[in-house]
Amino acid sequence: MFPYEEASWSAVDGAMFMGWGGALPGFATVIAMIICVVVLVIGQRSEAAKMKMFDK
Amino acid sequence: MEEQIAELAAKLAELEAATAGAAITNTMFAETFYYLTIPLMIIIHAGFLAYEMGASRLKNVLSSGVKNILAFAFMIPTFYFFGWWIYWGLPTGITGAAGPAGISGAEYASSIAWGWGDAAQYMGPNIADQASGVFFGAFALFAATTASIMSGAVIERIQTIGFIILAIVLGSFAWVVAAAWGWHADGWLVTKFGVHDFGAAGLVHAVAGFFALGVLINLGPRIGKFNPDGSANHIAGHNMPLTVTGLMLIIVGFWGFLMACVIVPGEAWSWFPDKPSTIYGTPITLSALSFNILMAIAGGIIGSWLFTRDPFWMMSGALAGIISTASGLDIYFPALAFIIAFSAGIILKPCADWLEKRGIDDAVGAVTVHGTIGLYGVVMLGIWGAGYPALQGAAGEVPTINLMGQIIGAVVFFLLGFVPGYVVSFLLKKLGMLRIPEGAELAGMDVVKVPAEGYPEWAAAAPSSSAHPAE
Repeated sequence: MFPYEEASWSAVDGAMFMGWGGALPGFATVIAMIICVVVLVIGQRSEAAKMKMFDK
Repeated sequence: MEEQIAELAAKLAELEAATAGAAITNTMFAETFYYLTIPLMIIIHAGFLAYEMGASRLKNVLSSGVKNILAFAFMIPTFYFFGWWIYWGLPTGITGAAGPAGISGAEYASSIAWGWGDAAQYMGPNIADQASGVFFGAFALFAATTASIMSGAVIERIQTIGFIILAIVLGSFAWVVAAAWGWHADGWLVTKFGVHDFGAAGLVHAVAGFFALGVLINLGPRIGKFNPDGSANHIAGHNMPLTVTGLMLIIVGFWGFLMACVIVPGEAWSWFPDKPSTIYGTPITLSALSFNILMAIAGGIIGSWLFTRDPFWMMSGALAGIISTASGLDIYFPALAFIIAFSAGIILKPCADWLEKRGIDDAVGAVTVHGTIGLYGVVMLGIWGAGYPALQGAAGEVPTINLMGQIIGAVVFFLLGFVPGYVVSFLLKKLGMLRIPEGAELAGMDVVKVPAEGYPEWAAAAPSSSAHPAE
């Protein structure tokens, strides 16, 4: 996963994170965004269900 | 012509003066950089103090605090006496041989890390040495952190002196050996297997977490924790808001902890003249830490909230988020750090429940948060970071990060924590120095050990000795 052709720190002159130059960063960003949305949806549903239990 | 030469000589003198000034400024910056990590890391201990006291019942609140404060106090001198020597002396193994970087081995350690003889010049005020004291301070605070990790797990039933002995073994020996092997540039785990653990997920957190597990096996659960059928009762601490605030303070202190893992540039002992590096000599920036720590905290909180909705586990999730990514905070992409931390937040509570079902009473979930998640973080880096040179240099000249190396590192960190924790606590148990007597535990440790009251105005009304119905 080293983002430079030559696996050497002396070749690094800029971005050095995993997947730089490939699809991984964008893919990970989309997954992270989806996680946030899904968690909010699940949270809203479960909280709404619990609140219903207190409806008179 | 003579005028031009004089002008050039004057400019050269100016340039030399400016260079000398810049060097002094850089040295002052480097010293101040590490100096400031020390109070930041003391905030970790303010956090541990608050969260342990909050997690204790009213009858034990002050004794939990005393134990925590005393452990901190004993870590500093014992790390000064021999812990610092171990870090420099044992990277290549227990033989104390010198390593390839020339900054390790028993002879080298004995020349810089003893408080007597010629070595003492590096262990006290010295106008020619602006590095040793602040490095020592940062490492002593790492040591104190390991003791505090164990401290929370054993609250409400451990003897004070027995606990302090355990804290010294952990903080000034066990984790230091792990740091020498897996953190030092001459460490055999690094040079032979490419182990990379930038933020000490394994060599601090996992070692401390599994040391605590070894102790807990011999210490046993609090009275009332488990029913005769083996099912567990929840023993609530007396002050959840204090506990949660304490956990947040630990998060604050972690910025200092991780900052102290960075080697600043431009000094004789720096890896680079112009850029900061990790302790392994690989490049890093504080911006990298900023991106990844924040995303990891967020991921851990969100992951643990999903299934627990409990502020204690949410803040523990924040810690788990940092710990699960700590090994690779220098090279993770922030969104990837978020995803890994999220997964750590999700598995956190089930792992703690699994341990509880096996009869282990870990009062604050330290074994899981620091031990299990620490090893998870070490292994995760082996999956995602494979191929990165683990040290300064090129693949081939130096080992690369790889899954097998990280697994080997994880196993070694587990053993370095669990074995001493189990053996020393077993010996203390045989000597009658591990657990307080049943009567004292039921009465509450504050009334037995502490000549002060946590909440004197509440004393008459508070259920200070009721604890749990199962008692």
